[in-house]
Amino acid sequence: MGNTTGYMNKLFAVARIKWTCIIRNASIMVGPILTVGMVWMYKVLYGSMVDGELPPILTGIILSLGISMNICMDGFMMVGMAIAEEKEKHTLRVLMTSSVTGAQYFVGSILFPFVITVAVNFVVLLISQVSIEYVSIPAFFLISVTASLISCVLGMIVGICASNQMNASLIAYPLLMVFMMIPILGNMSEAVRKVSGFLFTGVLTEMTDCFANETRYVVKPLDVAVLVGELIISVLVFLILYKKNGYEKD
Amino acid sequence: MEQNVLLQLSHISKRFKTDLALVDISMSLHPGEVLGFLGPSGAGKTTTIKIITGQLRQTSGEARILGTDSTNIDASIYEKIGVVSDNSGIYEKMTVWQNLVMFAQIWGVSNARVEEVLRQVGLAKHRKKQAGKLSKGQTQRLVLARAVLHKPKILFLDEPTSGLDPATAVEIHKMLLDLKAEGMAIFLTTHNMEEATKLCDNVALLHKGEIVEFGSPQELCLKYNTNKRYQVLLDGNEELVLEQNPENIDKIAGWMRKNQVQRIHSCEPTLESVFLQVTGKALSA
Ligand SMILES: Nc1ncnc2c1ncn2[C@@H]1O[C@H](COP(=O)(O)OP(=O)(O)O)[C@@H](O)[C@H]1O
Ligand SMILES: [Mg+2]
Repeated sequence: MGNTTGYMNKLFAVARIKWTCIIRNASIMVGPILTVGMVWMYKVLYGSMVDGELPPILTGIILSLGISMNICMDGFMMVGMAIAEEKEKHTLRVLMTSSVTGAQYFVGSILFPFVITVAVNFVVLLISQVSIEYVSIPAFFLISVTASLISCVLGMIVGICASNQMNASLIAYPLLMVFMMIPILGNMSEAVRKVSGFLFTGVLTEMTDCFANETRYVVKPLDVAVLVGELIISVLVFLILYKKNGYEKD
Repeated sequence: MEQNVLLQLSHISKRFKTDLALVDISMSLHPGEVLGFLGPSGAGKTTTIKIITGQLRQTSGEARILGTDSTNIDASIYEKIGVVSDNSGIYEKMTVWQNLVMFAQIWGVSNARVEEVLRQVGLAKHRKKQAGKLSKGQTQRLVLARAVLHKPKILFLDEPTSGLDPATAVEIHKMLLDLKAEGMAIFLTTHNMEEATKLCDNVALLHKGEIVEFGSPQELCLKYNTNKRYQVLLDGNEELVLEQNPENIDKIAGWMRKNQVQRIHSCEPTLESVFLQVTGKALSA
């Protein structure tokens, strides 16, 4: 077996294990299903109320709600809960004593949740039916991909800190509140909106608001700094935690 | 270093904060050898396995596994060794087959080998069963099957039969003896002296982190057979335990001449009583 083939085989084996576990774990799969279901339900509900095309404000709410929910709950929870489940069932140590490296486990763990998160973002965008002429697809794609990646890395941090699934939700909850609620509350208070601009989820909802309000969206340098900065910070936090105890403390 | 030493521990010690868990452990393991660490709970068995397999760092001393210092080993060592820890889990929501195939992919092992191992451990007809629905004994056989998929040179087993009923333990023992016959070296820990006697070529008696005795089960038992005794069952179902001394020898000889002996046993110590004699503590404490 060639070295690279061997390396990729291990990585894909982890991804395959994760995929198999995640799709069989109802409490994890409820996330993306709920996200898509809710967006679709709001769409139908609001649609029947206004009888015709949705006003931008409602489209904006649907879009930002769906995307915030997806980013904050789906990739994040999938990754974190799947690791917690492995700790609970004592399979993580089996994997880590089977010649899988820390890096292979990392990539293998986030691969599938990451793809799902990016995909659900697109699905939400489609369902919301914002007028496509105001949507900048490259910007949406890049920001959505980066945010999904941050979400998955945050999930790795939750997974490394948690010892079981119960405990993982407890750790995840405060993070979820900050990253999901602040951008939503930003619609109500100018001060909160300022703070929100410094969160990767805030950058995301600002973009979707632009799409919904049918104003042209341009990526600001601050947005790029926030996204890249928070990606780097989350990876660093992960690495520090990993260096300390590995994935699982003895 | 000797040519075919797979594993060599020299003066390994381990300290957790202030507690000494292992003190000056030295030993070696050769191909086809079954080596047992026998000791009660808390003796340091799990700690020893974790240090050798690179999951824990020793405080002092040197461990070499397959020629590599254990402090320098990376994930690739696990392509050559198999590890079954005291709580190794399985993926309960996957089938038996999936549980093995995932690891076959990690090790680049063919499906034919998965098939072979599956038959070896007697789980072939359960391949499509959800692993979470297996019995305790079947689960442990699956764990063992997974650990030997890639034909490791050394198999580490941390209390492989603890919590299993005697009949299931016997099944596991049979599997282990088959693996030994294939030339695999096995390092196992146990607090069960019968298991150690039955399986191990050599046993280290571990007490409070120290090897207090080492040798083959037979050697150890004979070494501590200091005052020899015989258990005799005479006609009329009279049972006696007699020490070996001139007077008793004559007595026994007399009974034998008159054909009055129904049964006679020498009472050499078991590993259990050797352990008790050496440490003053019972194994099953
Ligand atoms: N991570 C740890 N931190 C502190 N003490 C530990 C740790 N692991 C084991 N010990 C201690 O080391 C000793 C040996 O433990 P262990 O190797 O698990 O024993 P055994 O496997 O023989 O039952 C025990 O006294 C235990 O409390
Ligand atoms: Mg133990």
